Amino acid sequence: MTSPVYITRFTKGERLFHLCLMLTFLIQSGTGFSRLFLTTSFGRTLTALFGGYERALLIHQWSGVVMIIAFLLHVVTLLPKIEWKNLLPTIFGPDSIVPNFRDVQQIWRKTLWTFGIGEMPKFDRWAYWEKFDYWAVFWGMPLLGVTGLMLIFPLTTTTFLPGWALNIIAFLHRAEAILAISYIFIVHFFIGHLRPASFPMNEAMFSGVMTLEEAEEEKPAWVERLKSEGKLEGMKTTPPASWYRKIYYVFGCLALSFGIYLLINGLIFSRYVNLH
Amino acid sequence: MRETYLGSGYDDMKKRISVVWILTLLASPMFFPSSGFSQGGEETRQRSLLRERSTGYYQQYEVRPRNQRALLEVPGLTPGGLISYSPTGAVVRVRARLKDSHMGIRFYGSSRCEECHVAQAINLHTVRARITCRQCHGDEPIPSIGHYYSPLNPIRRHAYLCAKCHEGASISYSSYIIHEPVAGSQLAKENFPVLYYTSGFMVLLLGGTLAFFVPHSFMVGFRELIEKVKSKRSESRKGVEKGREGGESEEEEV
Repeated sequence: MTSPVYITRFTKGERLFHLCLMLTFLIQSGTGFSRLFLTTSFGRTLTALFGGYERALLIHQWSGVVMIIAFLLHVVTLLPKIEWKNLLPTIFGPDSIVPNFRDVQQIWRKTLWTFGIGEMPKFDRWAYWEKFDYWAVFWGMPLLGVTGLMLIFPLTTTTFLPGWALNIIAFLHRAEAILAISYIFIVHFFIGHLRPASFPMNEAMFSGVMTLEEAEEEKPAWVERLKSEGKLEGMKTTPPASWYRKIYYVFGCLALSFGIYLLINGLIFSRYVNLH
Repeated sequence: MRETYLGSGYDDMKKRISVVWILTLLASPMFFPSSGFSQGGEETRQRSLLRERSTGYYQQYEVRPRNQRALLEVPGLTPGGLISYSPTGAVVRVRARLKDSHMGIRFYGSSRCEECHVAQAINLHTVRARITCRQCHGDEPIPSIGHYYSPLNPIRRHAYLCAKCHEGASISYSSYIIHEPVAGSQLAKENFPVLYYTSGFMVLLLGGTLAFFVPHSFMVGFRELIEKVKSKRSESRKGVEKGREGGESEEEEV
């Protein structure tokens, strides 16, 4: 039996951003839920976990600041990846995470495939659900960040906006947070953990590598493109160390269970709270 | 002759004196202190920067600049355009300018606020900060918000009430709607349309995203499970066939 060949899927920087986003997102959803559900037993348990109503807010605010800084840093690291002379192909090419018309076709064909009609579409480097994951966060972060900053400094906000805008801003902040939490804890967790192809955990985002066999199955167009361009040899790496693997398995499962705890309790207690 | 001499001289002198007087009067404003020295409403560059763009009020000088509207306008909130203290208050606006807003209500003395103001009793201030109604609305007689001497009148609410806890509260800040209607309700549609349509947009976004991605990813997972089971079965069948072949060959050898 031949040992599997590993290729690079995510760089160290990308994994670090994901880890940072994971930690801040979990803290944000925990502290946010602790305040949203304060009138229920679930909210009080969470609030006690974060050291009280006021401290939960303080943690929420500072974690938000870290989140915003990480987002800005991420945008800065993206800038040199854009080839300005060759703009359109870099933005809409196969290596880009920007959605294009091919994704719409692939959504349709993949949906048909789930009903047993036709072949599974050949995905390139980023499949449409990965692109949606990325852009959902990319749209949510500025919205949550800006509305969050406006709520931290309401007096400054009301010098250029009328006070009733704070009602709208607070509503937007909560509604977008609920959207992000339900998407991440239902869809993203399902794709990353429960889907048979990635059960019990899709390790690529932590180890940064995936086996060539898996890549050929999941992203045949990408592997073919790499082969034809002769880049595949350069992508080959070593598998992750076993101690590192243990650490991220435990960490990932902890994050998963915290998320599911929030999701289930949030659903149970949702009838006792209003979004205002 | 004499009269004419005197007359002409006198006339000349009179003319000269009047010219001097007129000149003095015309020049006198130059030596008066500027009319704006004692007033706060004069707009200089620095002061105009301190103005709230949302209300037109100065932040530190509570003086309204010229040609600025007195109160905030919320599009569609009230027919007149002026912000009301509460959108849900529209149903009781008949009593909007009374000194005692509960005047003439029977058994008023033995009833509690939340018995009538059910929706108003639940808001972020009461639930989260544990503020009671009277901490803002004051003691008996509780005046209508529109009454000139009410502490909740928008002309002084920010300074009299909001600033008790929110240091530095401005007029614009105090137009935050405390008794806000439920975002997706008919009441919100009538009284706070901006909130209503924002909530409509967010519900569409949330519903649309989840309505596609939840069933879609579950379907994909289910389909993958079927494929996996199929491939495993075919593998095990192959294995069984191989085993049989091997067995047969062993038997032959024996």
